[in-house]
Amino acid sequence: MIYAIIGLIFGIVGGVLTPGFIPKIYAPYFSVALMAGLDTAFGGLRAAMEGEYDNQVFISGFVVNILLAVFFCYAGIKMDIDFYLIVILVLGMRIFNNLAIIRRLYLKK
Amino acid sequence: MMTVKNKHTRILIFLVCIILGYMITMQLRSHNQYQNLAIQRAEDLTVRLKEVQADRDKLAKELDEYRAGRISGAAQKEMDDLKARAGETEMEGKGIIFTLDDSKQAAKAGENKNLYIIHDEDLLRVVNELRAAGAEAISLNGQRLIGSSEIRCVGPTVLVNERRLAAPFVISAIGNPQTLDSSLKLRGGVIENFKFWGIRADVVQSDKVRVPAFKGNRTFEFAKPVSEEEKKEAGRPATVDEGTSENKPGADAEKSEGRQASQKNAGGAQ
Repeated sequence: MIYAIIGLIFGIVGGVLTPGFIPKIYAPYFSVALMAGLDTAFGGLRAAMEGEYDNQVFISGFVVNILLAVFFCYAGIKMDIDFYLIVILVLGMRIFNNLAIIRRLYLKK
Repeated sequence: MMTVKNKHTRILIFLVCIILGYMITMQLRSHNQYQNLAIQRAEDLTVRLKEVQADRDKLAKELDEYRAGRISGAAQKEMDDLKARAGETEMEGKGIIFTLDDSKQAAKAGENKNLYIIHDEDLLRVVNELRAAGAEAISLNGQRLIGSSEIRCVGPTVLVNERRLAAPFVISAIGNPQTLDSSLKLRGGVIENFKFWGIRADVVQSDKVRVPAFKGNRTFEFAKPVSEEEKKEAGRPATVDEGTSENKPGADAEKSEGRQASQKNAGGAQ
């Protein structure tokens, strides 16, 4: 857990120190990727609390989810359908779901 | 609470969290940046506009200096005279200041609201009346009226010298104050007509009326001046006359239309 928090702090500091920003055309991809990343992180946390944590599943999930989300977003923009809304909706639901389970597991302890 | 089994896993979680933290901050920063961008763009454009305006003024001044440097004496005097006649210099003198504002009266049921608003036609009539009474220089809301100045309704505003003006309209005219004043106050004249519709018209005679110079651009795209020799070559003035007479019917039609319209207005006033 301590590693995760230190990692987050490092990341935030790195983000603040980085000059420049994301061009506006890539903004939807980035937000979708962020959602996918958050979803995987919470999924990993939940798995860890359930005692089913698998490193390979976690890492592959992190990478593949982000790529898939970005791909969906890209396809949506190409086809002029707001796919990224669906991606954000689904990922948001999953995050809530995971958080609910984490909460329950935590309370049960 | 979370038991991490080996070193490998810890490093990977550490990396993933770094990426997540990085993404979150970048996202937040970018979002702020987009909002600032819109404002920045407007600011940039304002600054640029000011620069360009300053440049333009500087160049215009330089041009004036060069012109002043090249000609002198009698030619200079004649040029000043011509410029004054063309409306390129600011003028001052006795005259009147005529203020017009939209009617505050509410339109009666079933009546056209437009009758209570000042239109291009009203302004044209005033200007025409002033010209007829010998006004030497006229400006409308700071726009000098010259030969090519238009007065035309565009939506709720009036276009003069390609600039939009809105009520209240202030017409400054240099000329004999008495004559100008009485030309507007004629029985059945413009002011009486305005009064009927509640359009507020106010004439003030003044010893010092200032009429600004014409600031717009004038270029001849189609017209070319005819030199003396060309005139002689063309010989008979009849050809010249033909050319102008061709234009006449249209102009006449316009005039009579205007007259009809004004008669209509006068009829409404009685």
